Amino acid sequence: MNQNVFVRKVFGRFLRAISISFWVMVISFSLIRFSPGDPASARLGAGAEPEAIEQLREQLGLNQNAFAQFIDYFRGLLQGDLGVSLVNGVEVLETIKRTFPLTLTYITLSVFFAFIISIPIGTIIGWSNRASTVYVFRGITSIIIATPNFFIAMVAILIFSVQRNWAPVFGYVSEFPENLKYLWLPVSINTLILVAIISRVLHTSVVDTKAEEFVETGIIRGVSRPRFFWFYVLKPSLAPTVVLLSYMMGTMLGATVILETIFSLPGIGRELVGAVLGSDYPMVQGILLFFGVITVFLSFIGDLLAYALDRRVKL
Amino acid sequence: MSSNKAFASDASRKERIKEWVSRPGGFGIITGATMFAMITLVGFIYPLVGPYASDEFVGESLERPSWAHPMGLDQLGRDVMTRVFAAVPADIGIAFLGVTIPLVIGTVVGILLALTKNKYFKSIVSSLIDGINAFPLLIIAIAMVTFLGPGLFNVVIILTVMSWARYARIARTKAVVVMQQNYIEATKLMGYSRRRVIRKHIAPNVSSESLAYALSDFILVIIIVSGLSFLGLAARPPAAEWGAMIADGRTFLGQAWWLTIFPGLALCWSAISLSFIVEGLSRRDRGNA
Repeated sequence: MNQNVFVRKVFGRFLRAISISFWVMVISFSLIRFSPGDPASARLGAGAEPEAIEQLREQLGLNQNAFAQFIDYFRGLLQGDLGVSLVNGVEVLETIKRTFPLTLTYITLSVFFAFIISIPIGTIIGWSNRASTVYVFRGITSIIIATPNFFIAMVAILIFSVQRNWAPVFGYVSEFPENLKYLWLPVSINTLILVAIISRVLHTSVVDTKAEEFVETGIIRGVSRPRFFWFYVLKPSLAPTVVLLSYMMGTMLGATVILETIFSLPGIGRELVGAVLGSDYPMVQGILLFFGVITVFLSFIGDLLAYALDRRVKL
Repeated sequence: MSSNKAFASDASRKERIKEWVSRPGGFGIITGATMFAMITLVGFIYPLVGPYASDEFVGESLERPSWAHPMGLDQLGRDVMTRVFAAVPADIGIAFLGVTIPLVIGTVVGILLALTKNKYFKSIVSSLIDGINAFPLLIIAIAMVTFLGPGLFNVVIILTVMSWARYARIARTKAVVVMQQNYIEATKLMGYSRRRVIRKHIAPNVSSESLAYALSDFILVIIIVSGLSFLGLAARPPAAEWGAMIADGRTFLGQAWWLTIFPGLALCWSAISLSFIVEGLSRRDRGNA
């Protein structure tokens, strides 16, 4: 394809990501306006002074009309100002910067391990495609996918922490070798669920790829085995997997909220739950916006990656 | 005797059922549907005929499972089995509402979106759909609890506000395809009214796709309802709800595993039964073994 067309396509997709991000911002901004009562008095409780409520309304911008407040909010965002926590007065952006690295670390770890494990599983089962094996494989994976991660976590804690004492029940130490002791169990649970999802998609797309004519060509030409499996089978099959994974990232982030809460890992998900329980409106809005924008750009990156792996993918 | 005839038709019905089951995915669909029917029936009947009430204190706190209490007693001495089954309306019932309401709204909006010629409506609603769909469902549901407050009923509201957009996207895509089909062209030639075309010809063809999606969404929504309750954001004590029960049992994981495991198994049972149905239907769709 012409280089120019490529650049234009990528740019078009990028603009789409930006425009969706704008709507993500509008939605996370306007949620507070949907509360049935007055958010300020709801937060301060029934016995609050009217002056305190008035002051909080002012701070939250509820006294302005929605449009003026939105302009303020938008201007703040452009300068990296996501607001200030109502609970401890720390800037929302600072909190995100402090908590997100941990979440990112263990998501990256579990995605990495999940790919290492699912690529052989998906390729081998997809290539041989024996009915009985596929039946068992799809049965087991659909059971894993349908099981809520918090239940898997509970069973894992029961086995590994309560009965065997291989992992601490909860807590976290951020120093490097020590932190693995706290991380391995949540990472393994995440990996297990991801392996089920990724190997299923990979299996389906390897089966599809197998039917393509170029695979036959590869066999006839007598391409060496590793080369054949990488270029003729795996590479074209990975594109749908990568797209799916990038779309799944949102769901993954949602799942981490629960895992972080269970294992009390100080990541962004636990921060979100804490903010919800404490009615920390600016914090909730900020983290929500952050999650939304991240998901949008992950799916953008996923589409680009898929395109890099398989040029037939539409951008 | 007429019984002979009845027997013959009975046999042919049996044949037909056998044939239906033996088609790809039949086994999964039957197994899943049976499992799902079982938990739903037991859930609605057991609390009525069972010996205990879900919030009744019937014995020692944390009593082990026994014949009298097959799933043991919880920290307050309530019968866990009764509570596990009493939670069915809270989990499956709420999830059912959380799937069907957005399904209907979303499908209607999607069809309208495909039909309308109004550019502003089209672009604003489409952007709204993209915006809502960008958020992970669980995350935005958690965030919305801040503004609406916890409660199972609020979960239905949250799910309605957030998941209609995914159904709308599916329905719009499908409706655009359906409208290019020849039979829609034919209805125009027949001079059918617009309303009739939409109701009798477009909607049924669009909804098949949405219904298939709704079934897999059901699993996700059950997990979200129980997940929110697990975090303490949906069902409030003393309501019986699987996620909340698992969260309660967590404190006693070392002494009383039955508080956590049985509600969790019930939750898995429901989700897995649905996923067997989904799996079976998709096999049937692909038409392979």
